[in-house]
Amino acid sequence: MTDARVIEIQGRFTSGAGDLDSQRLCDVCADVSKMSGAGIMMMSGAIQRGSLCTTNKVSALIEELQFSLSEGPCLDAFRDQRPVLEPDLAHPSDGRWVAFSEAALDAGVRAIFGFPISIGPVKLGALNLYSDQSGGMTTAQHRDCLILADTVAHSVIMMQAHATPGQLAQEFEAGSDFELGVHQASGMVATQLTTDVAQALIRMQAHAFGNNLSLRAVARAVIGRTLRFDGPGDPVVVSSSEV
Amino acid sequence: MNRESLLIATFVELTDVLVDQFDVVDLLTRLTNRCVEALDVNAAGLLLADPSGELRVVASSSEAMHTLELLELQSSEGPCFECFHSGAPSVNTHLTAIDHPWPTFGPRAIAAGFLSVSALPMRLRGRTIGALNLFRCDVSDLSERDLVAAQAFADVATIGILQNRAVEEAHIVNGQLTEALNSRIVIEQAKGMVAEHSGADMAMSFDKLRNHARSHNLRLGDLAALVISGDISPGSLDPSTVPAVKRGNRPRHND
Repeated sequence: MTDARVIEIQGRFTSGAGDLDSQRLCDVCADVSKMSGAGIMMMSGAIQRGSLCTTNKVSALIEELQFSLSEGPCLDAFRDQRPVLEPDLAHPSDGRWVAFSEAALDAGVRAIFGFPISIGPVKLGALNLYSDQSGGMTTAQHRDCLILADTVAHSVIMMQAHATPGQLAQEFEAGSDFELGVHQASGMVATQLTTDVAQALIRMQAHAFGNNLSLRAVARAVIGRTLRFDGPGDPVVVSSSEV
Repeated sequence: MNRESLLIATFVELTDVLVDQFDVVDLLTRLTNRCVEALDVNAAGLLLADPSGELRVVASSSEAMHTLELLELQSSEGPCFECFHSGAPSVNTHLTAIDHPWPTFGPRAIAAGFLSVSALPMRLRGRTIGALNLFRCDVSDLSERDLVAAQAFADVATIGILQNRAVEEAHIVNGQLTEALNSRIVIEQAKGMVAEHSGADMAMSFDKLRNHARSHNLRLGDLAALVISGDISPGSLDPSTVPAVKRGNRPRHND
């Protein structure tokens, strides 16, 4: 890893018009790595926080799938603190992420790579990079991705360091998706079931899994009041005429 | 242990800085002890600049009072002071020579039994953070290979210190980030509870929470946490009689 390349890549983040925001982080990652798209997943300990940014619909779907299914390359990269590489998602070397892979393949993902975003022992999240062509990264690409992940880590810390205490950095507003709808819906379901929000979230996840829906779709239905969890037995889909 | 093994062991020790609970003072004390064990020096000390740029003694191979005093003295005069401000090594100065430039430091060092002194910068990419001080009890020069090894020790320790500072800052900021995200999530959950209880939409539910927080002098995040924990029922919130703030001024809690 030469210093010159580090400086060159860091320059890509800081040069150009406008301030560095979370969207630029993702755009530069996709561009420098020569991938079809990039996304940055945020974690707090083992808790998924949603995504800081994504470059297109497919990378947004990759983030959502991992949030919804609790499996995927970024979660593995984060957990093991090492790059996780799947150059051929259609013919993987092992049978990991079965549900994730099926949906990602449907969306056109052919190769996917996860890199941990951390500063020493401080773990922030993971960078997801995907390609619509199968095939591994070159050594140079792989090296660049390590530099990208490192630069993203320091950029995130730098942005948040300047934030108003108790609030998220303004720069995170551009393109971030912290799955707020899911949390709103878990509040509603908790009230319906007179239980706590953690239990409510588990019920929503079970419903999503059992009906082959995304967690986000379940949340949308709850907020739109077309789905309730307080009927006898299974959750009740409320027909639109009753709403 | 022979010299080579000692050098290698020292590098391993000094690079072991990315583990949790890494202690800068412990690392630097070990560094000064290894200098005495592996190199031809009788005492070693280390000074780092504090945030105001003043040199402070951080570690010493000897806890003897006269050695510590010699190190402390160099916040204003002596080889470390010079080395820190120039960023360049100051090597093998013979304190018995009449032309050395340290009127206070020189005689005190001689009184402590040291006749020759060197200082090496703690430096990374043009930034000097302190200096490593090496004392000898005779006037013969420290060999070139010892100076190279000592500078390498100092360089590795510098990287460790700067890395540790970056990690500490990252740790604090990441904690703040987690708290800010938690607060945001708790507010969304509370909005959901209020919405379900009252039949209002998310924007109206947010207004209800905010109005109640304001009129009861609570922070919004704290009120939301009380609603989530069941300590405040969504039904007991003040009715939202206050007209909502203009939409454009509303923070992004409504998406």
